[in-house]
Amino acid sequence: MSQTRIRVLCIDDEARILRALKALFRDMDVLTTTEPSEAIAWAAQHDVDVIVCDQRMPKMQGIEVLREVKLAHPRAMRILLTGYADLNAVLGSVNDGEVFRYIAKPWDNTELRETVQLAARIARDAPVVQDKPVDEFDRETARKQVGILVIEDDPETQQRMREILQPHYQVRFVTSPERALTVLEQHETGVVISETAGQHGDFTALIKSLKQYHPHIATVVVTDRANAQVAIDLINEGQVFRLLLKPLRMGSCRLSVDAAVGRYWQLKQNPAAAKRYFVAPRPDAQIPSWLSGSLLQRIRLLPQRLLGMARAV
Amino acid sequence: MIVGDRMFETLLIVCCLALAAYAGYAHWQLGKQRLRASEAAAELEKVQATQSQVIHTTKLASLGQMIAGVAHEMNTPIGFVKSNVEVVRDLLGEYRTLVQKCLQGFDVMLAADLSKPQTIEPLRRAMTKVRDALANDTRLADGDDLLKDSVDGLTQIANLVRNLKGFARVDRDGMDMFDLNESVESALMIAGHQLRDRIEVKKELGTIPKIRGVASQINQVLLNLITNAAQAMDDRGTLSVASRRSGDMVEVEITDTGAGIPDDVLPKIFDPFFTTKPVGEGTGLGLSIVHKIVQSHGGSIKVRTAPKKGSTFTVSFPLDHALLRQPA
Repeated sequence: MSQTRIRVLCIDDEARILRALKALFRDMDVLTTTEPSEAIAWAAQHDVDVIVCDQRMPKMQGIEVLREVKLAHPRAMRILLTGYADLNAVLGSVNDGEVFRYIAKPWDNTELRETVQLAARIARDAPVVQDKPVDEFDRETARKQVGILVIEDDPETQQRMREILQPHYQVRFVTSPERALTVLEQHETGVVISETAGQHGDFTALIKSLKQYHPHIATVVVTDRANAQVAIDLINEGQVFRLLLKPLRMGSCRLSVDAAVGRYWQLKQNPAAAKRYFVAPRPDAQIPSWLSGSLLQRIRLLPQRLLGMARAV
Repeated sequence: MIVGDRMFETLLIVCCLALAAYAGYAHWQLGKQRLRASEAAAELEKVQATQSQVIHTTKLASLGQMIAGVAHEMNTPIGFVKSNVEVVRDLLGEYRTLVQKCLQGFDVMLAADLSKPQTIEPLRRAMTKVRDALANDTRLADGDDLLKDSVDGLTQIANLVRNLKGFARVDRDGMDMFDLNESVESALMIAGHQLRDRIEVKKELGTIPKIRGVASQINQVLLNLITNAAQAMDDRGTLSVASRRSGDMVEVEITDTGAGIPDDVLPKIFDPFFTTKPVGEGTGLGLSIVHKIVQSHGGSIKVRTAPKKGSTFTVSFPLDHALLRQPA
């Protein structure tokens, strides 16, 4: 009996929050602590399914805790529960913590419970992909096979990315979602790098829809329109792999894209793991008119062959 | 003579003309001066208007800071109180089901023919099971604990609101007797979210008599000094706030363990529009307004600073002598 119960670990510096969570998850096995170091040790020790962690704590920031937990116990799904939506925390939760969801305090009980249940199901069903760089042989193959698509209409950033990525990857540049789909239909694409918006409007709806149907494609969002809420939505509805701010720095850009290609390559070998990046549209999500028609249909019908998922089914 | 007369006449005319011209000139000059004066007055008015607008903007900024601070402080208690109340409602629902089962058992028992032993035994077993389930159920106790936390959280929220009202002094905006220690507490609460997870706060508030002043302005002074202290500490640090009576004055001392103020900056810190922050981040008015408010209260402000060790700002206010002479 107790083996089928969800095991969740909660970390917060406020004991009353922990008691509230324990009561809310009363049908699960709940471990709670105010000590970040204890949490890091417990996660693997008790083989927990889900970790719910506060961001602002006096001894350690939540994203640091989650980063450590990710290394010590990668199977567990990570949820950040925080009353603060400051951009650095959001960026850190993507780039360091790779969180499954970013949930605001005060939370909605039903939503939080459902999120934890979903996360636990995924933690048990989906295998973990290792975060290791693609090895020499694979890197050559990946370079020949896997394309990178950049959706960006700022010529300066395009130029910068060309300099950084062209020597190592097949990079294709487009400025609109329409053209992006044409590229996706014709070439195997492992990584999509995108602004949040361009002259042709918002790109985030495309990023989110793409993830819904093709979770193994890694998305790297590069933006100068830094806004915490947009970033949170990109986590919760788009499971964005990395979030970078402009101006682009050579080092972090290369590292992020290498890691993204590595992630795609791992998921290609191990398609069941893509479940870990599951997203569903928000019930109240507004799908822009340009996406709701044929474009969405095209996203849905993207040939599996080109997505490198031929072996998946 | 005729010539002389004429000459006199001419002279007179010339004199008159000259006089008129001078009068005209004088009048023109005066007009010009008046114009200059009125221009100057208009200019002054403009500067004053801009200044008061800037002060107003700064006030709005501190209002914004205040709202953000309180919103952050309230988030945690609202978070668990809201969750707890919903959970308690669910627990009560589940408990009600248990009670109903028990009542059903009673009904069956009351309707049964208890003279037959074969009826009694299964009924007894069933009733015992339901009774034990109810007796051993922890939902009421759990709910009770959650409600205790909730009452606690609501008290915390109520205190925050009271503090906020105290800070803004919406009810009395004018000269009044007030407790400086209360002002310190409100300002610390408002600045709480900037301090909480990185700065340790040490308070040493002495017993001090009330002072006369505009409390909302003094609160602004303290909030500004505390915020500055927090910003002077890049990473972790200690903020010490002390209050004491010193002769005819009461003092509040705010000390940080931050960067300190460089020698070339120190003489300028109270100048309006002087700032070391990047463009767009500071108005450079915070300390000049602090200075102005303290002065208008007949007080003074002193700074001690050491590079990389931190700074101490000491604000002193005079005691009200008329009040002091009254027997306590």
